[in-house]
Formats: sequence, C-alpha cells, structure tokens
Amino acid sequence: MSSSGRPSAWKSALLRHETILLCVLIAEILFFNATGRNFGTPANIANIVRQSVEIGLLALALTPIILTGGIDLSVGSLLGLCAVIFGMLWKDAGLDPWLAAVGAVVAGAVGGALNATLITRFRLQPLIVTLGTFSLFRGLAEALTGGTKAYTNFPASFLALGNGFWWGVPVQAWVLFAVAFGIWTLVHRTTFGRSFRAIGFAPEGARYAGLPVERRLVLAYVQAGVIAGLAAVIFVSRVTEARANAGTGYELAAITAVVLGGTSIFGGIGSVHGTLLGIAAVAVLSNGLSRILSISSFSRELSGILTGALLLLALAAGVVAKRLSQRAVRTS
Amino acid sequence: MSKFSRELSVAGVLALLLIALAIFAPNFFEPQPMLSRLASQMPALVAAIGMTCVLLSRQIDISIGAQFGLCSVVGGLLAAAKLPLAVVVLGAMGAGAAMGALNGVLVAWLGLPSIVVTLATMVTWQETLRLWQQGRLLNLPPGLQWFGSSQTSGQVLLILFAFALVAVAAWALKRVAAGRFVYAVGSDAEAARLAGIEPRRVTFGVFVFMGVLAGVAALMNVVQSPQVQPTSGEGFELKVIAAVVVGGVAVTGGRGRLWGVVAGLLLLANVNPALTHFHVQAYWEKAIQGFVILLAVLADGLQRRGKG
Repeated sequence: MSSSGRPSAWKSALLRHETILLCVLIAEILFFNATGRNFGTPANIANIVRQSVEIGLLALALTPIILTGGIDLSVGSLLGLCAVIFGMLWKDAGLDPWLAAVGAVVAGAVGGALNATLITRFRLQPLIVTLGTFSLFRGLAEALTGGTKAYTNFPASFLALGNGFWWGVPVQAWVLFAVAFGIWTLVHRTTFGRSFRAIGFAPEGARYAGLPVERRLVLAYVQAGVIAGLAAVIFVSRVTEARANAGTGYELAAITAVVLGGTSIFGGIGSVHGTLLGIAAVAVLSNGLSRILSISSFSRELSGILTGALLLLALAAGVVAKRLSQRAVRTS
Repeated sequence: MSKFSRELSVAGVLALLLIALAIFAPNFFEPQPMLSRLASQMPALVAAIGMTCVLLSRQIDISIGAQFGLCSVVGGLLAAAKLPLAVVVLGAMGAGAAMGALNGVLVAWLGLPSIVVTLATMVTWQETLRLWQQGRLLNLPPGLQWFGSSQTSGQVLLILFAFALVAVAAWALKRVAAGRFVYAVGSDAEAARLAGIEPRRVTFGVFVFMGVLAGVAALMNVVQSPQVQPTSGEGFELKVIAAVVVGGVAVTGGRGRLWGVVAGLLLLANVNPALTHFHVQAYWEKAIQGFVILLAVLADGLQRRGKG
C-alpha cells in the first residue's frame, strides 16, 4: 500500500491482485480487438458498457456484504421483483415512470430490510436466509404477473435511460459511476468500511471492540436492496419491458465479479476498485466471445460456462496463493 | 419429548393438511392420482437423503439440479443407444459421482465455501447441458418406461425402492461409523479431527454420495416418462433443500433426522396440489416455497435462542 520504495513493497504492489487483474483485462482487450469482428468500434464499446451496468451495480452492492463475511443470493431475484413492481406502478397505478422508479427503489429497500432483519435480529445465516428470499422474491414476481405477463410500451423519455447517450457516454453508465463513487467512498474513506472489514475478520472481536455490528450489517443489506431496485429500473429501460424473469442468474455473475476482483469470500479483505476491474473483465470476456463465435446462442452458454470456471479458478488461486505465502513466512 | 418436537410439529402440520383435504376435497385421495403424485415425488426424496447428509456435515450443495439434468441426459443417451440397463444405471450414477467429486475436492481440500463452489458448478453444468442439448427432447426406447412393466406396478416399485433407501440411510446414519462421522464433522469438525476422524475425507465422501444419489434420482425420474426433458433439473435443488430444511435438519450442521425430512417433503409436495384444490393459482408455488424455507429457518433460530 505505502510507497516506501523498498523493493519488497514494489514487488508486492506488482503482485497485488488488482494489478494482475488489470493485466488480464488489457490482454483480453488486445486479444479480442485483434480477433473479433468490430470489437473495438464505439458502438460495441457502448454495448459492453450497457450490458454490464446492471450486473455491475449488483456487484458493487455485494462488495460491502462479502467484506462482512456475508452473502446475498437474492439480489437477482429482487431485481426481478422490483422490475415487476415498477411495471405495475407505472401501468396499473398510472404513476409517472420516474415516480414508479422511486417506488421500485423503495421496494428494493424493503426487500433488503427483510434480509437484514432475519440475519441480524434472529441471528440466522445469510446464506440460507437469502436462499429463501431468492426463491420468495422471484416467486412473488411470478405470482404478481401470473407467470407470463409483461409490461411494455414505456414512454421514450424513460427508455432514454437505458438506450440514450449523455456527453457521449451511455446514460446508465453515469448511474454506475455515481454508485461506484458512493460505495468506494463508503468502503475506503469512512469508518463504515473499516467496520465492514472488522466484522468480516472477526464478528465477535468487532462486537467487543464496541462496533455496532447489527447496525452495520443492516446498512450493508439495505443498501444492496436499494441498488437492486435501481438496477431493476435501468434493466427495464434497457430491454424496454418488465417481466418476472428479469435478472435471472445475475447474482452469480455479480458474485463472480466481486471474487475475481480480489474480495475474499471469507470476508475482511477486498476493494471496490477490484470489483470494478472484475466487472470489466467479465463483461469484456462475454462480449468478446460473441464477437469471435458465429452463433450468438452458443456464445451466451459458453460465457456462462467460462464465468463459472473463472470463478472457481479465482477462488482456488486465492487459496493456493494464501497457502504459499503462509509457507514462505514459516520457512523464512 | 422436546428431542423430537421439530419433527413432530412438521408431521402434525402434514396431518392437518391431509385432514383438511379429506373434508373439503375428498377426491384428492382417489388411489390412482394419489399414487402418481407420490411416485413423482420419489426422485426428490432420494436426492433429499443425500442433501440431508450434506447439511448434517455443515455444507450445502445447490448444484444438484444441474447434476440431475446432466445425469438424466447421460442416462437417456445410453438408453437410446440400446445399451443394457446396467450400463445406463452405472453411467448416470458415475456422472453424478464425478460431478460430486469435483465439488468435494474444491470444498474439502481447498477449504472453499460450498455455497460459492456449488453455485459456480451449478452454472457450469447447466450451461454445458444447454450448449450440448440445445433444449432438445430426448426420445427413450420403448421398454425403459416403468422398466417395461405396467404403470401401476412401476409406480409401486419406485415408491418401495425410495422408502427402502430412506430406511437403510436412516439406519446407517444412526448405527454405522460413517454415518456417525457425518454428524460429528457437522457438529464440530475440530473435535472430530481430534477424535481421529479425517473431516476432509468425510466431507468429500458426502459430496460424492450426493452426486451418486442425484444420478439415481435422475434415473427414477427418467423411467416415469417416454422422453427426457433436459430442463427437468431446473429448480430441483431448491425443492430438495426446502424439504430437508422444513424437515428439521439444521443448516448449522449436526442436527436432524431423515424421518423428519420425509414429513417435510410430503408436506411441501402436498401444498401445491392442495392449493389447486382450494383454487389458488399455481404461480404462487415458488413464493410459497421461499416463504416456507424462511419460516422453517426462523423456527430453528427461535428454538436455538430459547435454549440459550
């Protein structure tokens, strides 16, 4: 971290997870730019950005949670539920789309608060709680729409959020930047971030050190719900319809981005800029594959397989690196 | 008394549901539909045996739906190639064992959290299956359905087989050293290690066992229809986990009984048909499943708190 100039500090900065990931990202871009059709065109770059904003938002939201040693499997389902609620508020209740968007974000906050209550007040494991809400949120979305109903024909002013440009950049990217800045500040520049890490390292220790562990956990899960609601609005605007299956499987892609970004799944270690690099690495990979392969349906499945494999490799590499460094410490 | 309170309360709710159905919807108990409904739950029951062991050893496996789907297709392809039944059975079970072994290596020897490992393997196998089959239905040769016998005797055979497996597993968990090891590792892995048990081998074994049972469950599902649906495993993992958790197995490991799981599975299995009998729409199935999981976990948490 420090720029003391000692050779070992230089070496550790070079071997830092984020540095390695940045090199992987650059290699990916160079490779796909050389082999893919129209990979480097401005239109395709905008495409990559648009397609990664919702998963990116969820990954940013998951970073504080995983730092505390927790997990939230329900964010993808919550995105679907918020999308359906947004559609209902707009079409069935006749609200202005932006007012309906506020409603969707509030619904996300309520969903996050449900997770938070079960986890903190009843001391239940985040894993099983969010596995339950994973099913509950998606099920509610299906029940509300009768399984098949889709809300469409949104006004053009609203669709601009997901399909327009502002200052030459896709509009939703500005939302991602703003949220990334907010989460980065929260995690790296406030005492909240330090308490997330402390809870991740040792929850009991954090409690004895006087940290309000429950309140910090509530903050982590509620902000994830809020961001899931925000991502739902952007998703609906981009694909121009609100359906119960919105965001299916997004939780895995988001967790992959976070873990690829160097955040330990056991909690305590990680960074928001690492998560941003992880998001970019996953997005470039899946888009690049679709530029190389001729049949687009193949590329979607292949990128799913690679995402799973990449996650396993990143996890295994993290463990092996830790063991090697422990061995180095012991022998020296 | 309090030792069995959780299992008894699940069995009590199940009894209440059945009594309500007997009063308000007596045609629910017509023999043939009842037999078909029960037989269709047997794959989940067999998989629930494995999931019980996984949760007892304080792990979780959410890749079993994808394993189930892949094993179905492997078994179906072997059967369609006119290979003998023994090869079909071994092929499906072997595929399950291999996938379970991968989970086991990553969880037991690399010490990775099982939820993330099995989330990753779930997506990997699911997308592999989609890439491979592209959603095609697979036609099975005649003679495989119900093993060539009549539907009724096939169904009775499946039900007897599943319950025999449950009985053997329940006995083994209680009386065989390997079964006691599963409880020991799930209660306190460090204490188990000091007692001379190798926790990593137990964990690995549990995941392989789960994979083999996913293969058996897939075959039990395949023989019930003339075709293999490659999507048949989607959502299967949640159904099985819900049944096990509702049946009183603690996600914190080391506590739970198989007969509670049987009650949990039958309870969940009857909720949906009961809903249709009481004219509630079927779209609510997933929401109710999630709600029931949360309720069961909440009951567990409150019970633990009450004790101390």
